[in-house]
Amino acid sequence: MEFFIKHRTIVLFILFTLFCFISLSLQSSGVTNVVEGAGNAVIFPFQKLYHAVQTNVSLLWSGFSQLRNAQEELEKTRLRLQQYESVAEELEEIKRENEQLRNLLGLKQRLKYDTVLATIISKDPDNWFRTIIINRGSSDGIEVNMPVVAFFGDEKAIVGKIIEVRGSISRILPIISPDLKIGVVFQESRYPGLLSGYSAIGKLCVIDYVDKTATIKPGDIVITSGQGGVFPQGLLVGVAVKSFPSESGAFQRVLVKPYINFDLIENVVVIKKEPDKDILKLIQDDSQL
Amino acid sequence: MILMYIITGALLLASLIIQGHSSFDVLRIGGVKPDLVFIVVVYFAYSFGSLYGEVTGFIGGLLHDAISNSPLGLLAFPKMALGYIIGFFGRSIFKENLFTVFLLIFFASIAKGVITLILCYLFHQGSLSSITSIILPESFYNALLSPPLFFLFDKIFEQELSREGR
Repeated sequence: MEFFIKHRTIVLFILFTLFCFISLSLQSSGVTNVVEGAGNAVIFPFQKLYHAVQTNVSLLWSGFSQLRNAQEELEKTRLRLQQYESVAEELEEIKRENEQLRNLLGLKQRLKYDTVLATIISKDPDNWFRTIIINRGSSDGIEVNMPVVAFFGDEKAIVGKIIEVRGSISRILPIISPDLKIGVVFQESRYPGLLSGYSAIGKLCVIDYVDKTATIKPGDIVITSGQGGVFPQGLLVGVAVKSFPSESGAFQRVLVKPYINFDLIENVVVIKKEPDKDILKLIQDDSQL
Repeated sequence: MILMYIITGALLLASLIIQGHSSFDVLRIGGVKPDLVFIVVVYFAYSFGSLYGEVTGFIGGLLHDAISNSPLGLLAFPKMALGYIIGFFGRSIFKENLFTVFLLIFFASIAKGVITLILCYLFHQGSLSSITSIILPESFYNALLSPPLFFLFDKIFEQELSREGR
């Protein structure tokens, strides 16, 4: 015992080293999950508190600065509201007409999913990983592999997917992470490819396995293909920046700039779409081979 | 002494929370942000020796791993190991001046990055391009921030430092 106390620095060093290497070898096991859960339990209340304080202070500040314009804005809004009321009636009529036409044409009704609005409370504190933490968790019905989007104008653009859920928080793996792979197609030419993050720190994505005969122009829109079992079809992803041949020369790779600016994003929408378990299992089995 | 442990814990917690908040992304230069937790760990190792450095590095690294998407131990081990090594030499070798602190953090950050990269290769997935895209810019950024932070920490721990004759 005296030996350990006398040499406690080196003894602790060896113990800590052993702990780190054992937990790295047992990734995502029961023990490591318990330790991670305990760490999260310590940090997240403070993160939520910090986020709430920071948000309220900025709201208060912007409230003061916008007070002067409030009266003017109010008048404008009243006028707009009157205009919208008349437009709303027209829209309702158009919607009814549209539904009738869809039925007539025998089109399948678009699947509608429930959504949950969430606020980003933190991002991965390290440069080696790029995940996002939101203030909604299993208590809000969120599950692993649910797709996450954000509004880009009036359209929904893809942010990523849920990879970890706890009581009141969840972790998103964004599309700019090289760890996430999504099936995509070019909206116009319909050429398919596999999209992932281009680098650990960049803001671009790259599409692999694009047919080398495909003509890809800068500005071509990329959308989700719906394959892979997680993301619904037709969600906006980004625009092509440039294309270049893959290392093997059999395909071409296309750099894509996502619609979402991941440095400025504050709110996201989680789509409560359960993943297609059969497809996911097939992909997992395939990756283990 | 208890007060010092509380302040140490508070500093680690504060740096983790600030570093993880989305508004901190504004400080990204060339896509990287500084590692405040590591600067805190190096400061404690540099000022209070190996034992304090390795324990602070281990706890700070574990918390860092817990809120990051990294496997547990990937960020803790480099911080703990560097805390131990830097604490070995401490202020007796690295005489305190702005330039020494800058160089100390710069090379310590590079060592931390290289260890992380090796662990990524062994237990996760690594890419050599991380040397130019993450390790070098982050090391420079850490080094740039370290002199004012070390000055601030010296003020906070003035009593403790004078008690230990440093």
